[in-house]
Amino acid sequence: MTAVARLEGVSKSFGQVCALDDVSYEIPHGEIVALLGPNGAGKTTSLSLLLGLRRPDRGTAQLFGDDPTRPVTRRRLGTTPQEMAFPGTLRVDEVVDLVRAHYAEPPSTESLLGRFELGALGRRQTGGLSGGERRRLAVALAFAGAPELVVLDEPTTGLDVEARGAVWQELRLFVSSGGTVLLTTHYLEEAEALATKVVVIDRGRVAAAGSVDEIRARAGAGRISFRREPLPSNLAGDVSEDGDRVVIHASHPEEVVRQLVHTGARLQDLDVRPLPLEEALRLLPRGS
Amino acid sequence: MRVAGLHARASLRELMRMPGYVVPTLGFPTMFFLFFAAPGSDDDATTLMVVFAGFAVLGVAFFQFGVGIATERATPWERYVRTLPVSPTQRFGGRIISALVFAAAAAALVLVAAVLTTSADLRAPQWGQLAVALLLGSIPFALFGIALGYLAPPRAALPIANVVYLTLSYCGGLWTTPDELPDAVQQLSPYLPTRALADTLVGIARGDPIQREAWLVLALYTGALLALAAWAYRHDEGERYR
Repeated sequence: MTAVARLEGVSKSFGQVCALDDVSYEIPHGEIVALLGPNGAGKTTSLSLLLGLRRPDRGTAQLFGDDPTRPVTRRRLGTTPQEMAFPGTLRVDEVVDLVRAHYAEPPSTESLLGRFELGALGRRQTGGLSGGERRRLAVALAFAGAPELVVLDEPTTGLDVEARGAVWQELRLFVSSGGTVLLTTHYLEEAEALATKVVVIDRGRVAAAGSVDEIRARAGAGRISFRREPLPSNLAGDVSEDGDRVVIHASHPEEVVRQLVHTGARLQDLDVRPLPLEEALRLLPRGS
Repeated sequence: MRVAGLHARASLRELMRMPGYVVPTLGFPTMFFLFFAAPGSDDDATTLMVVFAGFAVLGVAFFQFGVGIATERATPWERYVRTLPVSPTQRFGGRIISALVFAAAAAALVLVAAVLTTSADLRAPQWGQLAVALLLGSIPFALFGIALGYLAPPRAALPIANVVYLTLSYCGGLWTTPDELPDAVQQLSPYLPTRALADTLVGIARGDPIQREAWLVLALYTGALLALAAWAYRHDEGERYR
């Protein structure tokens, strides 16, 4: 599988602040890669290197095997920035036309606006759009050049559930027709629902990378809970209490259950389930 | 070139729909001319007309480049446009085309107002020379505007541009004629790029031969300001896009 974009050992500082420290990850063709991590972890900085907005202090950023700071390299790229404001007096269709004009084979303005439920807004000045409409226009513009890779920085922040679903649908459609997606998100359910691959960035480093299942497996795969009772002290998991129940987060829940059975635990109302990604990420060993 | 044209068209559309930009930029120099220069002008009407045309073109160079770049550079839209497959050259091309349109309109208004309300007049070849002089002579000021746009904080750019624009215009003799300036200003004036511009324009109005010395001064300023503008541009890229 070829990588559409990659960062290799990149570091980037702003004054005294080290935003990225020896970060490497790649975006394989045909995948939806979600970049996860807390605010200020370095997600947006790493995107800005891939988009050619900044240059790394060390290491290399590659887009389609080439230097992203060269304009020609970006011909097969579409982007949606985290924040977006358009020239307020330009109409929606004028903004779309301007962006389309940079590419060789753009889709028609009407079809693009239609795909993102902006069809009725073409003649509206962008200054009069609502927050959600602006967001949808920003996402639509990422597709204005019939790109091979789209990079979206928090594409669904501020969208209602329905609009978010529509964007997800477009992204899946795009990937099924041969496209590749890199997105950052705060919504873990977005990564879980959408991503085929996850890269976790924390404090400027890659904390984990892999499929959603792999991340979960690395973090601790399961959550065991049952009616409270005395427990052995050497359990291979993270024990907490929730009301009258004991909750154990464990990387190998089946071993914990086996151990409990051996000690003669009663395990009343036993419940074992995989961890949601959010809890899995919290359990990740730092710097692994 | 096609992409530069599209950016120019978008910028013109955007600006045209802002009366708050269009009216002052286009109307201010003409208004100044009608208030302060036209009444009482007689023999010097033609000279006043050409220096005020210079004043009009300068305003566009300062505001459209300086203030325009400073306010846009911090916007998410600017950041987005930088991810499109467009080169800095194409973007500057767009800016220059759109500024040329505004500059031509602002100067034309002054010229029309002057011809209609005063005894100002030029022979056919002089009009052509005036257009060329305005075009070439405004280059150093556009470069200054670009440098200002990348160096000044967005909110500071407008007041700075105003102060520099008005001071330089006055001291360079773009509101009177250069030889009517007070003595103290006369001492300083010959070193200013606006004075050099005024001299070239006045030379054309009087039908004098080419003002070599003034053009040399403008060329020197162009070289220095080109270096400053290039440095400012790279400095900005460096700060935000390294």
